[in-house]
Amino acid sequence: MFAYVIRRIGAALAVLWGAATAVFALLRGLPGDPAETVLAGSGASQAQIEQMRQQLGLDDSLLVQYGRYLLNTLQGDLGRSLFSGRPVGLTITEQLPATMQLAAAALVVAIVLGLSLGILAALRAGTWIDRVAMGVAVLGVSVPVFWSGLLLIWVFSVGLNWLPATGGGSWRHLVMPATVLGLVGAGPIARLMRASLLDVLRADYITMARGKGLPGTAVIGRHALRNAMIPTITLVGLQAGFLLGGTVITEAVFARPGLGRLVVEAILSKDLPVVQGIVLLTATTYVVINLLVDLTTLALDPRQRQ
Amino acid sequence: MSTRSSPCGKCWRLLIFILITTLPLLSGCAPVGSSSVPPKAVNQPSLGGGKLIYGLTLSPSGIDPHVNASAELGIPLTSVYDTLVYRKLDTTESFDDQFVPGLAESWEVSDDELTYTFQLRRDVTFHDGTPFDAEAVRANIERIVHPDTQSQKAIFLLGPFQSVEVIDEDTVAIHLSAPYAPLLDGLAQVYLGMASPTALAEWGPDYQFHQVGSGPFKFVTYVPNDHLTLVRNNDYNWGPAIYDHPGPAYLDEVEFRFFTDPAGRALALEAGDADVMGELPPFDATHLRQDDRFRVIPIAIPGQPLGLMLNTQRSPLDEVRVRQALLFATDRAAIAQTVFGGESPVAAGPLTAATFGFAPSLTGRYPYNPDEAMALLEEAGWTDSDGDGTRDKGAQLLALDAVLMTWGSVPEMAQLVQSQWAKVGITLNAETLTYPAALQAAREGNYHLIPQNFSGSDPDLLWAYYHSGEPFNWSKLSDAALDDLLEKARSTSDPARRAELYTQAQLHIMELALLIPIRDPVNLNAANVRVQNLSFDAHGWFPLLHDVYLSDQ
Repeated sequence: MFAYVIRRIGAALAVLWGAATAVFALLRGLPGDPAETVLAGSGASQAQIEQMRQQLGLDDSLLVQYGRYLLNTLQGDLGRSLFSGRPVGLTITEQLPATMQLAAAALVVAIVLGLSLGILAALRAGTWIDRVAMGVAVLGVSVPVFWSGLLLIWVFSVGLNWLPATGGGSWRHLVMPATVLGLVGAGPIARLMRASLLDVLRADYITMARGKGLPGTAVIGRHALRNAMIPTITLVGLQAGFLLGGTVITEAVFARPGLGRLVVEAILSKDLPVVQGIVLLTATTYVVINLLVDLTTLALDPRQRQ
Repeated sequence: MSTRSSPCGKCWRLLIFILITTLPLLSGCAPVGSSSVPPKAVNQPSLGGGKLIYGLTLSPSGIDPHVNASAELGIPLTSVYDTLVYRKLDTTESFDDQFVPGLAESWEVSDDELTYTFQLRRDVTFHDGTPFDAEAVRANIERIVHPDTQSQKAIFLLGPFQSVEVIDEDTVAIHLSAPYAPLLDGLAQVYLGMASPTALAEWGPDYQFHQVGSGPFKFVTYVPNDHLTLVRNNDYNWGPAIYDHPGPAYLDEVEFRFFTDPAGRALALEAGDADVMGELPPFDATHLRQDDRFRVIPIAIPGQPLGLMLNTQRSPLDEVRVRQALLFATDRAAIAQTVFGGESPVAAGPLTAATFGFAPSLTGRYPYNPDEAMALLEEAGWTDSDGDGTRDKGAQLLALDAVLMTWGSVPEMAQLVQSQWAKVGITLNAETLTYPAALQAAREGNYHLIPQNFSGSDPDLLWAYYHSGEPFNWSKLSDAALDDLLEKARSTSDPARRAELYTQAQLHIMELALLIPIRDPVNLNAANVRVQNLSFDAHGWFPLLHDVYLSDQ
């Protein structure tokens, strides 16, 4: 088991290096010159644009830039934004808490709602309850955040004046953004939970448990749910990463601070160090969450421990 | 099977409990929050006091006015800094005294127009107590031109800057290497606002979070993507004549917040999350006009109109008749109405009607006239010989490539252009790119048409886009006569003479049909009706918050 954990960590590091290299290559492959973008509209001459390129280190060969980037990243230095001149690490860490808060709250909504709908649908499979629950799940995935978000603002802020429409800071600012984003994440969780619970309920050991005369709640709670949760936990891990990405639009709709807007603006303006930094952070988050998921499954599923 | 007792039975019950308690919350049936929301503060009357929340539309990547270029940073910071001079609010009509004193009481231009000498006010102190003097001016300008500052805008406003010289405590001179008439316009902008030299030295590259000016409001905090707060400078007593009252500002505090999603701006205003909101989508502005809780304040922006530049180096646009045909084939009024909700005037030439030096005689030069367009195309040898709807000449089809960008409703605008041109037998292929990619395409000349729209208060901005050899000359034309006009206008300080030269330049640009001007940009601001006396400076973007007060309600 120790060897397994070591192997997983080794693989995680390889993935991170791959992500760092891929984002570097992709960004260099995209058309556009950051120095030109910084100075567009300023009336700069060609010579002044060249000078800016030089100052930003963009006239070095790709290999030199790549080496410098890897070396600096290893030392924890993500560079400075080409536009604001501020350290990328600082730029990210000051926006990170707001995004993490939103992603975490949305994940809670997604898990609670997704599991509830999935379990409800499976236990009442084929009835109208099942259809309504699955309908809600499909609706959650299909309705885009920029629409559901504006709708919620319109009803709860402009109409009823219950919740603040925009901004961050308190839990009341978090309710609507977490709900719309959580709804998106709840759909897949509900569907998978329903499917895997139905699967498990058909298994022999459940029939056996019932046959032994165990009460329904014990059968479901102790035996069925525990087994049905395994694939769902993997999905929840994936959803966590997805929700982190989903904050982009949600943050814009609710005018919340956070990484989302930072990354969109950085990509659109080709602010290389900022995009690299955020991709590395996201990759690290994914890798760490997946590592945790693997270890959790290991704890839940005795077969994998061998 | 494990025989350990599992906690999951409890989990199950907990789950049901959570489901029961949260579902009504999510569907909004429970009175959640209804009792915990405090009533909105009733705004106190009086010309003094109160807090204003001002909605900004994008989150600038940096807000050091000497370093960064965003127009958004000027919205808050125009109230933090004073400038040496100020541009009068409306200089499109009168050519005399375009500038009024600011931190400089008076100024003189040498006969060779290479030296500007400023006599400074003696009663000004920065927010940190540092006195304002000639040394302060020198420190600011030297910071801006220093290569390490990597100035993205301010340095270019200084033109052919050579040096800054402290003559005595209250006198400072700026030396140029060539005459540069737009210098005063640059010095009137927040990018050349005077910062406390003490703070500049203390904070270095972190100065953007610790800004200290001498303006009517003090900079308090800036949290990127979240808010920027200013409080009143009670000592302010040196405001320029463009402010409508002397002494300190009325408001206690102004908080700026960022509303990057255009669709949510009007909603945020209606929900009371902001008192003033800039850059509303035109149809939201129309809607707010009907709501007596709000006032829509449209501000015409000087500079270039939103338009499509034509690449004269790429066939068939190398022929002037084809370019003119495109102008006649474009129903610009229909675009202004459909895409911009009738909130923007139709543009006439390379400068908007709100710009000093605008040539009114251009209005009506290219009316919508498909017949004229078709006649010009026939003349140039473009006919639809195979009847497929697209004109051709030999083996070449009259098909044009447009590189589009996502801002400014450009894609919507292009769709209308596409359908209008189809009627005269021109096919338009459009591709939407990110800004850096579009700039690269522009540099490489891979387009027939490319959108363009930069604001600026001096007509010298034509230089960067029409003078031959400039990197942003997207018509790619080298025209000696046009170069000559732009060079003369740049080096002539007499406003009347400049206006005349720019009129000729604009007429020349439109005779050569280098641009399809579409609409003059208008910043559609809206404010809660309790916001009184909100006006904007000569650049159109920057509010004069010094004069704003909140009425009783």
